[in-house]
Amino acid sequence: MESTRVITEMILDEAKRSAEGILQEAEKSAEDLLEKQKQRGVQKANEAAKILLKKAESEAELNKLNSIANSKIKANWVILSKKETWIDNVLNEAKTVLKIMTKTKKYLPILEKLITDAGVILGGKELEVLLNPQDSALPLRLDNIAKKITEKTGFETKLKLSEQKLEVIGGAIVRIANCKVIMDNTFDDILRRGEKDLRFEIAKILFF
Amino acid sequence: MLVLLEAFKAIKEKHLEAKKIVEEATAQAAKLMNEAEKKALSVYEEAYRKTLSQAEQKAMDLKREAAKEAEKKLAIFLSTAENQAKGIEAKAKKNFKKAVDSVLNMILC
Repeated sequence: MESTRVITEMILDEAKRSAEGILQEAEKSAEDLLEKQKQRGVQKANEAAKILLKKAESEAELNKLNSIANSKIKANWVILSKKETWIDNVLNEAKTVLKIMTKTKKYLPILEKLITDAGVILGGKELEVLLNPQDSALPLRLDNIAKKITEKTGFETKLKLSEQKLEVIGGAIVRIANCKVIMDNTFDDILRRGEKDLRFEIAKILFF
Repeated sequence: MLVLLEAFKAIKEKHLEAKKIVEEATAQAAKLMNEAEKKALSVYEEAYRKTLSQAEQKAMDLKREAAKEAEKKLAIFLSTAENQAKGIEAKAKKNFKKAVDSVLNMILC
């Protein structure tokens, strides 16, 4: 009986060991499977992450460069707009000074010279002078001016004050009679014509 | 003889019991593997999601950092520009009359 008991215990022990072995192996296999899947997931994600990060890096760099370029533009704009404002101030002040000057005695010879110069450029002969209402009332010596133009051009010149009035600070438009050809020597047009060069000159004086 | 028979019977019973233990363990092992296989996809997805999410966070940090750097540069540029603008203003005030006279000279001469 004792030997039978030993044998049966051996059989059961062996079965339990086998069962334990089977379960341990299964647990290990399951763990391995999950670990492998986890590693596979990490690896796959790392591949995607590499692309994602590379893209993010270049986007970040590009955005940074764009922002810096915009910042430089903004900064330059601050300086440029300040300069432009001062240049405008100079031009406006010059216009104000001219307006005041047109009410002084100094103005009459200046106006006569502007008319003379325009008349010479047009080549003399029959000319019409257009002025603003204020200047039309000035004691202009049109005969003297015509004489000067005649001397300079070699053509007998006659000047007539036009009925048409200008809305300008000062100066004159001279027109060949019965013709559309004009020479605009108003302060307004001289300023307009020379504005590009003037702005450059003003900038040189103001900021250098 | 009877004793021997009893012994064989006991051994046979234990054999059956042992077989049952092994069969149960095998079934349990199969169940374990089955569950692991079912879980495998979610483990893969979780690992993928977690790793990618870290990378996404890093990408956002990169972009944030670059934006911060650009903002700092903007502040420096603007501050420099404002200082330059002050210098310009000072020069302009000093040379204003000279510039106006230059314009008048150009028009009147």
